[in-house]
Amino acid sequence: MRPFAYATAFTPASARELIADNGCYLGGGIDLLGEMKEYIAEPKVLVNLKALPGLNKIEPGDKVWTIGANVTVGELEDHEGLKQTFRGLQQAAAEVGSRQIRNVATVGGNLAQHSRCWYYRQRDVYCLKKGGDMCYARNGENKYHSLFTGNTCISPVVSNLAVALAALDATVIVQRGEKPQRMTLAELYAKAWDNPTAHHSLEHGDLILQVEVPVQRRRSSYLQVSEKAMFDWALVSCAAAGRIEGDKISQGRVVLGAISNVPHQVQAANDLMEGKVLDEALADKVAGAILEKAQPHSANGYKIPIARALIRRTLMQLKA
Amino acid sequence: MPSWPEKRTWIGSHATRVDGPAKVTGAAKYASDVQPEGWLYGMILRSKWAKAKITSINLDKALKVPGIKAAVLSREGERTVRYYGEELAAVAGTSKQACLDALKAIEVRTTPLPFVVREEDAREESSPRVWEEAPNLSKPSVNEKGEVDKAFGECAAVVEGFYTTPVQIHHPLETHGNTVSWTEAGVTAWASTQGVFSVRDGLASSLNVPQNQVRVICDYMGGGFGSKFGPGIEGGLAARLSKAAGAPVKLMLTRFDQALAVGNRPSSFQKIKLGATADGTLHAFEFENYGTAGIGAGGSTAGGGGGAELRAPYIYRVPNIRVKQSAVAVNAGSARAFRAPACPPSSCGIEAIMDELAVKLNMDPVELRIKNDPSEIRQKQYRLGAERFGWNEKYRKPGTSPGAVKTGVGCGGASWGGGGNRRARAEAQVNPDGSVEVRCGTQDLGTGTRTLVALVAAEVFGLTPDKIHAQIGDTRFPYGNDSGGSTTAPSVCPAVYDACVNALAELQKQTGVDDARGANWLAACKKLGVNPLVASGQWREGLSSSGTGGVQFAEVEVDTETGFVKVKKITCVQDCGLVVSKLTCESQVNSGIIIGIGYALYEERVMDRHTGVVLNPNFETYKLPALADTPEIDIVLMDMPERGVIGIGEPVTIPTAAAIANAVANALGVRVTSLPITPARVLAALGKTGGAA
Repeated sequence: MRPFAYATAFTPASARELIADNGCYLGGGIDLLGEMKEYIAEPKVLVNLKALPGLNKIEPGDKVWTIGANVTVGELEDHEGLKQTFRGLQQAAAEVGSRQIRNVATVGGNLAQHSRCWYYRQRDVYCLKKGGDMCYARNGENKYHSLFTGNTCISPVVSNLAVALAALDATVIVQRGEKPQRMTLAELYAKAWDNPTAHHSLEHGDLILQVEVPVQRRRSSYLQVSEKAMFDWALVSCAAAGRIEGDKISQGRVVLGAISNVPHQVQAANDLMEGKVLDEALADKVAGAILEKAQPHSANGYKIPIARALIRRTLMQLKA
Repeated sequence: MPSWPEKRTWIGSHATRVDGPAKVTGAAKYASDVQPEGWLYGMILRSKWAKAKITSINLDKALKVPGIKAAVLSREGERTVRYYGEELAAVAGTSKQACLDALKAIEVRTTPLPFVVREEDAREESSPRVWEEAPNLSKPSVNEKGEVDKAFGECAAVVEGFYTTPVQIHHPLETHGNTVSWTEAGVTAWASTQGVFSVRDGLASSLNVPQNQVRVICDYMGGGFGSKFGPGIEGGLAARLSKAAGAPVKLMLTRFDQALAVGNRPSSFQKIKLGATADGTLHAFEFENYGTAGIGAGGSTAGGGGGAELRAPYIYRVPNIRVKQSAVAVNAGSARAFRAPACPPSSCGIEAIMDELAVKLNMDPVELRIKNDPSEIRQKQYRLGAERFGWNEKYRKPGTSPGAVKTGVGCGGASWGGGGNRRARAEAQVNPDGSVEVRCGTQDLGTGTRTLVALVAAEVFGLTPDKIHAQIGDTRFPYGNDSGGSTTAPSVCPAVYDACVNALAELQKQTGVDDARGANWLAACKKLGVNPLVASGQWREGLSSSGTGGVQFAEVEVDTETGFVKVKKITCVQDCGLVVSKLTCESQVNSGIIIGIGYALYEERVMDRHTGVVLNPNFETYKLPALADTPEIDIVLMDMPERGVIGIGEPVTIPTAAAIANAVANALGVRVTSLPITPARVLAALGKTGGAA
């Protein structure tokens, strides 16, 4: 780790000023400290965000809930009202790391976290994502990698919360320059689709302030499959949300994680659910539409059947 | 011949660990906790190249980093490094950060050379050679008995299979390392080791210091599993840094280092053919295997008993066999002995093909084993275990469990040698105030050696274990052998018993008390006056045994849509001879099974063929079982006191993975032939991988 200065920001404006050109924001530090220890990130200054006012609250609302960027993943997991209103989000939070990690990790940090690709994280490998000229995973060890990408890098987005929030059509409020901007989850990650060095669309200095989650989708669910029972990354994660009236679904959304460098969502798949009876046959049609263009590599084709099973199971959970 | 007392109060009891409180309060000091006056951090620079000629290493800039007190080369002059992670140099400084900065400042000039890291590539003649003078694939060793080809013709059922097991990395929770002080007075090393005397002798010879000037201390250590004998390269570097810096140096490896250079269990690629007569009697066996012990090549057992050769047909008796084995060198860290070296992979191969045979013969897998396993102990254990596990109710034809989440059961057996070391010694000191010190130059791997010492002494003297001060882990104590091969309990317990019996006899003789035990103890000791009494003892024939058997049963649940495997239950029936400490004995069974679960489902060193690096040098992607992955474990200790003390650390980890793999095959109706059994491999076995959506 390189030596660094440490500063605490009390307003978004001062946070932007303090990180200057070569600093990093520090929330829980779960992702950042790992990168610093491996010399992947070498910030000159760490700007502590935990003193920013008003960002550590979960605020329920009739139409929209607001979740501050400094809320910990553990607080999301434990929030009783949230469990009732956004079950999928709560389930996604409960699968993040271990309890110790969830006690420290923040919502903002979970959304802004970087790739877990084992080439990217290997200290002696200079891969495409780090600015090198080759994606080693493509012709190497890729069992944890993507089925979809818009560029050469095949490291997937691994934020559980991004997947659940995308299914809920959440909006992320980002301080960019002088004023806050509103971004959909798709917009928050769009840049990673095209640009191999990007983990998300945030630019240096951009600061996630809060997330707004609309309540119109009354049902939501999230499931993931990992190699271990707990404290393991998802091989595939899946969130679903929608309104259920009788046996029909409307405003349905299905989003997959860990199989693309962005939360993977296919508009046509969402559309084909509209007003239909939600049953396994429909779920399989949705899965077909979502996975149609999957491009498996040498060792990750198994993610396709897992994704199909998870799509069916999360959709069926909406009925429960 | 001496024998253990017929009536036993402490031996075999469920008494708690004597050092439990010290461990949970942090009072126990491990090698990594020791902080002698003025100590410095030490750290190692490792090769970033899988193979390279090192033309020069310049330490000048590193020595100028503030806080750095010494820097040494691992080896002088030009050399060739043969794996990613091989030691190049080391530094010592006043902070961890200073050392990290210094490592970055060391200038290394190299010519990178071609390398190969995958077994299946390395065995090709056209691949780069790990060692220039020899091919990577060793000449096979061949063991032939009877007339195999003819015998297969006489079989009613013949099955064939190809099974692979991965390289399993040594990951004790306390990493390898030592704190070493080398002054004119001699060398003192606080070592995380399985053999204080092996560290002493290793340091003495590599530093050219007389053995009587090297003292090694290991009060507590956090696991070794076969990889912590001798000082290691890191121990020698720590000593040289200490001398150069004039201060003690603590050099503990990082988790990253741990994945590269301090040992592993070799891989295996086993091609097996097995035939039986119509009644299920094994008749012919053909076996071809290769595996890698890293740069340890040529069929060698680099790392001390950690070679790539397996035992085949392991515990079964087959009249006609042909066994061909070779080792294949790759550019990766060497293997070392790993808890029951050679046995878990051997078990995985043979138990898999046994189940295939049972299916073909339409026989119950347990019956097939009882028929062909010559060990009467295991035959008994299979019957006992099957009853306890509910085998007859749970076993069904492969793949016939209903629904998407299928259940299955499997079993497997193990044998192990173990036994006591004749050179083990101990001494017992009885003080006039009635307190007792028992000293033995053994060490506690975490298995509970101190507790064994205290329980044996308490038994002999008729005292409670808390009255015994068990002192171990110091080369100043009477010789204790290395803790390897499940030999510690059967070596230490007899020596301690002998010392205590001698001390009691001497006490009674000196004081004229007929029976100084228990209630008479204090009064008798008082009569000693001012001088304590010291008696020595040694290992004695008749108090321990070697040769132990065990069987395990596994029940699993497999989600056929996601490939996820959950182990529901393991039942273990283990022969232990005389159980000395029931609690720590059961703990070892638990730990052996949990390691076996890791081997079955999660653990695998992953290397990149293009860069030669280890891709999972951490617990994030080198996965170990945690509590949520640990099933109900039912343990039956077959207490056979007449056999004396037997070590069981190793046998209990042998059949776990084989039993789990068999249970998965039983659930699915198809076999996952490679460990670890990941969701990817389960789905592949079911033919579900890679299909278009």
